[in-house]
Amino acid sequence: MADVLKAPPAPAVEPGRAAGRRRGAARLVLVRLAASAAVLWGAVTVTFCLLRLMPGGTADVLLARSRVSPEIRAQIIAEYRLDDPLWVQYAAYLGRVVRGEFGDSYVLRRPVWDEIAARLPHTLLLILTTLLVTLVASVLLALVSANRRRWVRSSFAAAESLVVALPPFWLGLLLLTLFSFTLHWFPAIGSSSPMGLVLPTIALAAAPTAVVTGVLRQGILQALEEPFVVTARSRGIGEPALRVRHVLRHAMLPAATLLGWIAGSLIGGAVIIEIVFSRQGIGRLMLFAVQNKDMPVVIAVVLLTAVVFVAINIAVDVLIWLIDPRTRETGRWA
Amino acid sequence: MGAARSLRPRGPAAVAAGTATLMLILAAGCSSGTGGPATAAGTPRDGGTLRLAVEKEPECLDPHQSPTESARMLTRPILDSLVYQDSRGDFHPWLATRWTISPDGRKYTFDLLGGVTFTDGEKFDARAVVANLDHVVDPDTKSLLAASLIAAYDSAKVVDPDTVEISLKRPDSSFLGALALPNLGMESPRTLKGSPSALCAKIVGTGPFTAPAGLVPQKGIDYVRNPAYTWAPAAASKNGPPRLERIEVTVVPDGPARMGALTSGQVDAVTGLSPTSIGTLKRTPGFTVHSTGFPGIPYSYWPNTAKGPLSDVNVRKALRAGIDWQQIVKNVYFGVYEGAKGPLSPSTPGYDPSVAPAYAYDPAEAGRLLDQAGWTGRDAAGYRTKNGKRLTLRHLWSDGSVANLAVQIQAAAKRLGVETVEENVDGGTFVNRLLAGDYELIDTSFSSPGPEVLRVLFGADNIPTRERGVNNNMARYDNPRVEEDFRRALAAKDQADRYRIYAQVQRTITEDVAVLPIYSPLSTVAARDGVRQVGFNADGTPSFHSTWLTS
Repeated sequence: MADVLKAPPAPAVEPGRAAGRRRGAARLVLVRLAASAAVLWGAVTVTFCLLRLMPGGTADVLLARSRVSPEIRAQIIAEYRLDDPLWVQYAAYLGRVVRGEFGDSYVLRRPVWDEIAARLPHTLLLILTTLLVTLVASVLLALVSANRRRWVRSSFAAAESLVVALPPFWLGLLLLTLFSFTLHWFPAIGSSSPMGLVLPTIALAAAPTAVVTGVLRQGILQALEEPFVVTARSRGIGEPALRVRHVLRHAMLPAATLLGWIAGSLIGGAVIIEIVFSRQGIGRLMLFAVQNKDMPVVIAVVLLTAVVFVAINIAVDVLIWLIDPRTRETGRWA
Repeated sequence: MGAARSLRPRGPAAVAAGTATLMLILAAGCSSGTGGPATAAGTPRDGGTLRLAVEKEPECLDPHQSPTESARMLTRPILDSLVYQDSRGDFHPWLATRWTISPDGRKYTFDLLGGVTFTDGEKFDARAVVANLDHVVDPDTKSLLAASLIAAYDSAKVVDPDTVEISLKRPDSSFLGALALPNLGMESPRTLKGSPSALCAKIVGTGPFTAPAGLVPQKGIDYVRNPAYTWAPAAASKNGPPRLERIEVTVVPDGPARMGALTSGQVDAVTGLSPTSIGTLKRTPGFTVHSTGFPGIPYSYWPNTAKGPLSDVNVRKALRAGIDWQQIVKNVYFGVYEGAKGPLSPSTPGYDPSVAPAYAYDPAEAGRLLDQAGWTGRDAAGYRTKNGKRLTLRHLWSDGSVANLAVQIQAAAKRLGVETVEENVDGGTFVNRLLAGDYELIDTSFSSPGPEVLRVLFGADNIPTRERGVNNNMARYDNPRVEEDFRRALAAKDQADRYRIYAQVQRTITEDVAVLPIYSPLSTVAARDGVRQVGFNADGTPSFHSTWLTS
């Protein structure tokens, strides 16, 4: 998606440099918005097709747990228009999506937006704290571990690989057993309190932190080889100041892109954590909806996730555009 | 995941409601354990809040709409029924003080209890009963179970405020049993006029508890005592308002998390623990396991009697005799579950114990039966063959938690010379193959508080097909003699007559080996010792009406 940024080279007109910069930013956002619409259309279409390709008829899966008369079965099929030709269903569906009408969930029997609105704040809160922890922890860890001594670097790298390899549900249970069931520091259920947010955040942030730390450290080590470091050192800058002010800024660029991607994937990826910690959330809603072929819910959640994903990525690109002057000069973004 | 889902099969249920515990592999299913001590020691005390963690929530709270066991369990505290069914299957007055049934079995007249009010202030009377029954069968309700429970219902009319007359299209001896379930519970007529989706979140009844905030999805439901409650069924253990001031139910889908929440004192009681956890708790001081056998059909393997090698009754007989089912159950569930010896579990009203001897282990007889059926050859792997074809049975899994049991059965079948191929498929494929009859074995349990459940699982009308959709006769069993018995049972004059006919059905099914029952699932509540007098409803779901807390 970031390729789009390469398309509009910033006009290198000398006199109106500030104006050009503003125009560049506006154009950047516009192009990204257009691309986003395409991404969203793709997401809803692919979802529609995948749900159709899944084995088992929607009506059969929907009514699998029930004893209903053939009349009620026929009525449900008619009401949800499951007997219409595929293209009619697709057209009707696309129309509803555009108008923002997602209708009622087949299974939960309530308006889809109500279901999502009730759960979204819980998921967003968890994602927010996770991103925050990931950012702070990985910056600190990367600064500490970007050491020229080889054994320090490789032991950090080994620890990161280990953390990435941990299944999140297992890590979650481990944290629960230790800090909730044994030490009684945090509640295992009743997730609405700030204390209830601590363990799920750690469990969810562990793997992203490990990945981002690795990328950041690599960036720092590379930046330390750059000529400007020698210049800065020759001016007598202290090592901590050098790392935080100059080197980190370079290393942040790939890490920011990565964080954007992680943030998007967390919406659905939180499902395991939501189950282990009995949290309300979109992930659990999505899992339940997919198992039940509850199309209105699945489609709304996919669209929501896609919107968040796209919005975060635009934000990241703008952020990079702001952080890194080079992307403004050349239209490149490092 | 409870092994038993009252009134619905386990397999298709896993398709739909299968929680992610499945994905976590930790999903040990099946509650278990026999009741510990802590029955009524000490003087009952009023007040207090019971914190309960349950494994799953209904997708819709309203039991008129929802078919799930969890909807029944969570609405029983809120809703009363016209009649009360005890654990022996007998019926007692509740909101109806007495009733008469016309000689042709098609007209039921109920005298209603006076002075009963719904917790929203509405009066309970004949008009309310008519409104409820009409709500259940209203197509807009899209009832997934309740309407089919009273499929014979024709109409109801108000005779006077305290008398209601219900007409059936045909005699139906299971009608009272249906009325006793929460699925036909009485909801405030005022709420029934609203949208069905509002009822999915909140219902109002006349029961011992109210839930002012209703069901909060993925979170739970909080109950508050109804202080005006004085109409508990006389046959139930506790009269008057409940002792507990509040019950806070939290949905905790993950089994180990529920267990940890209980042992660390974050909740007072939990449902649906695995046999392993039950075993651990029984050895842990400070905790009590309350349990009762789920009435209905045991957890069973359902042979496809319509096609494939199991359409031969001798092969089915050989499978029943040649595998030591009782020993396998002991190995897998540490003695927590009883091995099953009949198409109904012993706690089911109308259970016929005379069929038990037919379920004895007899490997020599099994070998002889297989020889007789023509499976005389042996291939290189030691499996029996007929005309060069191996005796292979494809077992379609209802959900992933059956793995331990399936592996043991597979090993035992191998010793018999029978190969079982274990197939754990996705929900949609499961449904497709179920409808096509493309399997030799399917496993499921099916709990229900009466022998009518036999009709659900062995009635020819309930064989799953493309036209009919998912249904429960997974053995695809079609025996005219049994069909005739089912018809007679529906028109039976009294309980004894009904049970006699269903006993005959159990014997026929045993002769035909239309099911390979394995164990009787248990409904369990594991609680700290301070939780006293946990009860169970007729359908096996836990009841907290009499429950009190020592502290």
